Parts: sequence; structure tokens; C-alpha cells
Amino acid sequence: MLLIHCPYCDEQRAEIEFAYAGEAHIARPPDPSALSDEDWSRYLFIRSNPRGRHHERWRHIHGCGRFFNAVRDTVTDTFEATYKAGEPRR
Amino acid sequence: MADALLRTDPVSGRAFAGDGVKISLAPPMARYSLRARQPEVLERLLGLKLSRQIGATLNGAACLGPDEWLLRAPAGTSLTTAAGLPVAITEVSERSVCLIVEGVRAAEVLAAVCPLDLDRYALGRATRTVFETVEIVLLRTGEERFEVEVWRSFAPWLNTSLQTAAGQLR
Repeated sequence: MLLIHCPYCDEQRAEIEFAYAGEAHIARPPDPSALSDEDWSRYLFIRSNPRGRHHERWRHIHGCGRFFNAVRDTVTDTFEATYKAGEPRR
Repeated sequence: MADALLRTDPVSGRAFAGDGVKISLAPPMARYSLRARQPEVLERLLGLKLSRQIGATLNGAACLGPDEWLLRAPAGTSLTTAAGLPVAITEVSERSVCLIVEGVRAAEVLAAVCPLDLDRYALGRATRTVFETVEIVLLRTGEERFEVEVWRSFAPWLNTSLQTAAGQLR
């Protein structure tokens, strides 16, 4: 059973309580109408998909209900850190 | 009286007594979902202190998230509405039913499918979690007594699942 630390509950909880929510720190362009179709599709669909350290969003859906960010190694599945949404990238 | 006659519960009112564990349906109660980014506003409105620590229970209100509380009160309790204030008070009394799991083997039966570490689950704790695939709110109300809040439509399945766990674990 994979345990994930929820920064809001401040506790290690089972993975089954969480939902994955894609790559983190992707800011919506401030003025979407100024973007070309190509840039907009890049914002919508293109992700970094690294091998190794990955910043991603998770949601403690069957718990406190909050979104938070995590740094996970995509090779070993080890969680390096989890931190609250809105905090700077680690 | 009319209320009592019309009421149908999703689970039989007859308790299940297994080896070292008893599973029964709690009598109806009032439940309120309280949401507020500023808990002080809610506290002033209701006139009771709310816990800021997720998982803790204070004055019958369990803190489920940073801005969410589940208040459980005797049946018939009604709360003020919060018109004009930045809080949400929603009555959810009939959204869920409460199954009481008690006895020396209560934690063991719940641990069959619940991923929480129940050995370190202190008295008074309450949290949302999952039981197999069903979302529940688990409250520890005694050393050997747990209360499981589950949505009505899931209750028959959960009740059967708990009874199965109670019957098969030895």
C-alpha cells in the first residue's frame, strides 16, 4: 500500500483515498485570446512527462477534499515531498 | 408520530451480534454540513467553538477539512440559516445513516477493508475515508466503539460487508 502525506491533514494516508490530477504549476495564460491556436493547444495538451522527478497535483478526495502538490519520482514511485497548493515549486 | 410511522431505513433496525462485535443502526439524528473559510463567522453564528484541527471533534462537530465541519446533533435540532454571511449551513440529516460497530473486535473488523491505522486512531477522531470503494466518515466514539457514517444508498452493501468481515475473520 502506497502512503501519501497529505499536507492539510498532516498525516500519511493510503493512496486509495487520493486522486491524481495531472502535472502541477501549469498557469493559465492571463490573456487567452491573445494566444495563437498552436500556443493554446500547447497549454492545454502538452505536458513535460519526465522520467524521474515530476511535479504533480493530487487531491485528497476521500479525506479533507483538498488539492495539493507533490514531487514524485516516476521511476521509483517515491514521493519526495508534498506541499499545499499555492506554495512555491520545490 | 407520523414521522416515525413513515420512516423507512435502508438497513434493518435489528442489531447484528457476531463474535466480539456488534453492528447496529444508530437512531435518526440531525446532521449539518458546515462550510466557511473564516470559522470565526460560523462560530459567532452558532455560538459554539469549532476545532481547527482536521480530524478532531469539538462540540459534536467533526472537522473534516480546512473549511468543512460535520455537525451531528439530536434529531429535530434545527440551525439558523446563514443568509448574507460568507458561510454555508446545509442540512444533510437524511443523506447518510450511521452504523455503530462496537465490541473488542470492532477495530479488527473495520481494518479488514479500511486503510486507516486504527491502532493510532485516537478517541474522538473523525475523518472521511473509504471502506473498500465506499466513502464513509469514521468516528471513534469509544475505545471499542466506532461510528460509520455512510450515504443511505450504500448502507445495505456496507452493512453486509461489515457482517461478512465480522463473520469470516477469526
